[in-house]
Amino acid sequence: MSEKTEIRLMTDFANLHNLMNAKESFERARPDVRITIGQAADHYELMRAYKSEEPPDIIESGGWALFNYKGMFVDLLPCIDEMPGMRGDLNPGIVRVACKDGSLPGLPVDVALPLIAFNKELFDRAGLAYPTDDWTWEEMMELARKLTIRDERGVATQFGFGIGVDIEELEPFVMRNGGRYVSPDGLTARGCVDQPAVAEAFRLLIDAYRVHRVIRNPGEPSEAGHLHEGFGMVFAFTWFVGGLVHHGLDDKFGVVGLPNMPGAEQANMIYMGAAGITSKSRHPRPAWEFLRHYVLERPEAFRQPRTLPVTGSLAERSGMKDHRLWSRYVRELENVRISAFYMNEKWNSSRQLINEEVQRMILDGTDIGHTLKSWTRFA
Amino acid sequence: MYGNGSEEARTAAGQGTEASEARESRDLAERAKFGDTEAFGELIERHRKRAKGWAQRMTGDPHLADDIVQDALIRAFLHIGSLQDTSRFLPWLHKIVRNQANMRLRRGGPGRREKPFASFAAPTARDRVDWDDLDSVLHHLTRCAADAAKTDHDPERHLLRQELYETIHSVLHCLTRKERGIFEAYFFRQLSPDEIAALYRMTTGSVYTYIHRSRRKLRQEHIRVSLGLLPEKGENAMARRKLLELPEWPARDAVNLTFVDRIGHLLAALEDRRDLSELMGLSGFAFRMQISDKTTFADGIYMFDWRETLRTLMRELGYETTLLCGQLSDSPVPLLGAVERFPVVLPIEEAVLPTIRQSIDAGRPVLYFDTSAARPYVHEWSLIYGYDDEERTVRLTDAMRPDGKTVSYEEVADNPVRFLATFRRQPEREETAVRSETSAQTRLRAEAAIRSAVAHARNERAYRPMTVYLSYTSGLAAYDRWIRHLRAGPASPPNRYGMGQLAAVYAEAKKHAARYLRLVPLEGEAMRLTLLASEAYEQAAEAIGAVSAAVPFARAAEMLSPELCEKCAKLLETAKAFEAAATGYLEKAIGYFEKELRA
Repeated sequence: MSEKTEIRLMTDFANLHNLMNAKESFERARPDVRITIGQAADHYELMRAYKSEEPPDIIESGGWALFNYKGMFVDLLPCIDEMPGMRGDLNPGIVRVACKDGSLPGLPVDVALPLIAFNKELFDRAGLAYPTDDWTWEEMMELARKLTIRDERGVATQFGFGIGVDIEELEPFVMRNGGRYVSPDGLTARGCVDQPAVAEAFRLLIDAYRVHRVIRNPGEPSEAGHLHEGFGMVFAFTWFVGGLVHHGLDDKFGVVGLPNMPGAEQANMIYMGAAGITSKSRHPRPAWEFLRHYVLERPEAFRQPRTLPVTGSLAERSGMKDHRLWSRYVRELENVRISAFYMNEKWNSSRQLINEEVQRMILDGTDIGHTLKSWTRFA
Repeated sequence: MYGNGSEEARTAAGQGTEASEARESRDLAERAKFGDTEAFGELIERHRKRAKGWAQRMTGDPHLADDIVQDALIRAFLHIGSLQDTSRFLPWLHKIVRNQANMRLRRGGPGRREKPFASFAAPTARDRVDWDDLDSVLHHLTRCAADAAKTDHDPERHLLRQELYETIHSVLHCLTRKERGIFEAYFFRQLSPDEIAALYRMTTGSVYTYIHRSRRKLRQEHIRVSLGLLPEKGENAMARRKLLELPEWPARDAVNLTFVDRIGHLLAALEDRRDLSELMGLSGFAFRMQISDKTTFADGIYMFDWRETLRTLMRELGYETTLLCGQLSDSPVPLLGAVERFPVVLPIEEAVLPTIRQSIDAGRPVLYFDTSAARPYVHEWSLIYGYDDEERTVRLTDAMRPDGKTVSYEEVADNPVRFLATFRRQPEREETAVRSETSAQTRLRAEAAIRSAVAHARNERAYRPMTVYLSYTSGLAAYDRWIRHLRAGPASPPNRYGMGQLAAVYAEAKKHAARYLRLVPLEGEAMRLTLLASEAYEQAAEAIGAVSAAVPFARAAEMLSPELCEKCAKLLETAKAFEAAATGYLEKAIGYFEKELRA
């Protein structure tokens, strides 16, 4: 019997369930190939592996930074084109973000985006109508104020809106207000983050924390419990909904698009990683066959999903396209745009410094316009 | 109602802004005083526009204002060491801009100082300084620094500043106006070559050429000679080298936690050898445990505020710390939870080499974060103990290479994590050895370490990265997180490599905790309880040691079997029970300290 072809795959994902299942089914169908999975803690280790004398054939990464390196991965579009109908099946929103300079360095995985999940029980208890996609930021704040309940000590037992303090999570609101953190070519933040549309969006957001106090402020005591408990509305990535479904709590929730901002743009962010074939792979053909199987041919990966499928047929075959909650997420993929952290590494690397300043805006009231102007130093 | 609230909040915001701006500027100016170019770059970024406004109001000419600001900022950088009160940075900068503008208005016309390299010559009269002439000022400052270095009992700071003057001098005054602008953008403002290219409407390749040319000019030896700066004895002026002899540091003396290990080695090199259990205890690392919320990656070991932790520890030990830190954005960076809080910097050799040379020349190794550590490590703290300008290399330690290794200047500058620290004895402790402290002081120190150990054990979020996507569990709760990873089932197998390092590091840390507690100078019931805690830590160490024996610290791709995971989980349950008991004993011991304090 001839020796098996070994495909070495390195990933920085912690949950390997889907990958292990794909390996098992692929090796069953292709007994001549063995998939060896290695884990790395971060992009740095993945890059070291790529530069080592034993580079992996496939690198899977939970971000996009590595896929921006020219020459590190092979373009997968020719492989996609070998599959009849696949170009048209790939979600156009995802492709718009994933392709750079007309090439596709990896097949997107771990695709997620945020919508607003609302707790129907809390809305019913307050006698409030559920929001619909045509709602505005102002209307959302009005609901959030009515859904925020504080006890006699001022400690919230229920918050109107649940969202963290992270520059990335504020970006879709900025996009929807017609602003952007960095230029379309990703080269600079000058003339972008310092513009009025961004400042206006930030003012509204920071007021929600600081003035209306409908969002838990950093360090604020809370008796509202977890996001699925004492929060009227939640900035809900796909994995939040996945958790609701998994724990049988989904009936209590509805989802709606992000509110319309004064700038009236229809836009949203997208998170995704990718799995790509390295330019150093000694077995690019079987590596592609595995990738195709792993990412494009397994609707079972989306039967209990926490992320979104990359093709229309997977959305349909997995049942997500018709699911009460998931269908809204699949539809939202039409609106996604590339975020600043995908386009500009300096911006991406500065996120914690930027978050410290966002926190200061919330807690100390530092001047928004001045702070945003100073962020031109980050990109 | 909300409108009013918002208005009030914004008024308060305005006041808060000014206060926090002033505080930040003061901190940056303080760092810039020590030659931190990144901090100075940020100061420029913050105040350039304001400075241009001042200059433009005086001259009415935006182009002239740009030139004035550029000169003023260079002067500010040169003089910042003399700024007594760093909270007065802005008024001080204003004064410099005003002087520059007045000078320009008196003399008229830009371009006076743009000289070809060949026309650059040493000043004729040694004692005459033309304070309106930047060349003359630079010569004067360089000479002063050189003179001070010869006579001062501690010439180190003067040598550093001299090197700085020389660098700026030799580069700026050989350059055309355009080259100067590019150099300033690259060096001070930390713009990337792409951005500079866009700014000057030129290709990125040309920017590199300009920068390269500037650097080449800098390296011309006759600049040094023309300034009358003699080389140190026995050294070549152009290419210096120095190699420190580090004291022996056999494996049996080392600890797996390289942050503490290298500090121990460094102190030994400074003839201040410490007991490693004492260092582990005083630093708190004997009691720290932190696990990633994702899986058993080893990054939890490295998640703490590097700058603050190092400064605090070294201050306790009687040393002042000078830090250079940053991250590169054009290559993947490890340990984002800690490192993303560093400023983004460019891979410029001039930003790091003077610090290394200065410290080595003074006989002190440099603490350095090495991202090319030999396997099974990926990155670790090391000591740079030599440099060679001719070979363009530094010599540094590596946990897996007893004889050390050589790394090029380029690799040091290209290290995606810039973290270099140099140390000097606190002036007030120059004459007095730290260990001559009184027994009362030693006891207070031990009590503080015990309080900190308990606080850490009870704090499940000791370190919070400023981002929602990274989180770590610490203290006793870290055991639960670790056990949960081990019992997550086949869908989420624990990371074997990280698990090996976690077990090796934490088993040893608990051993040091036990030993440290045996050595503390307490008495009576407090000591009895502390000894009981020591015994419990010993047991915890033994249980984690068994995990370490089952999952050794080595690179391995295979997954841990469910049986092995369960075995390790049970061992960790045992370890947790012992450490919880140890924490309980220490809490009771603290009760006795406080009772004594009240009495």
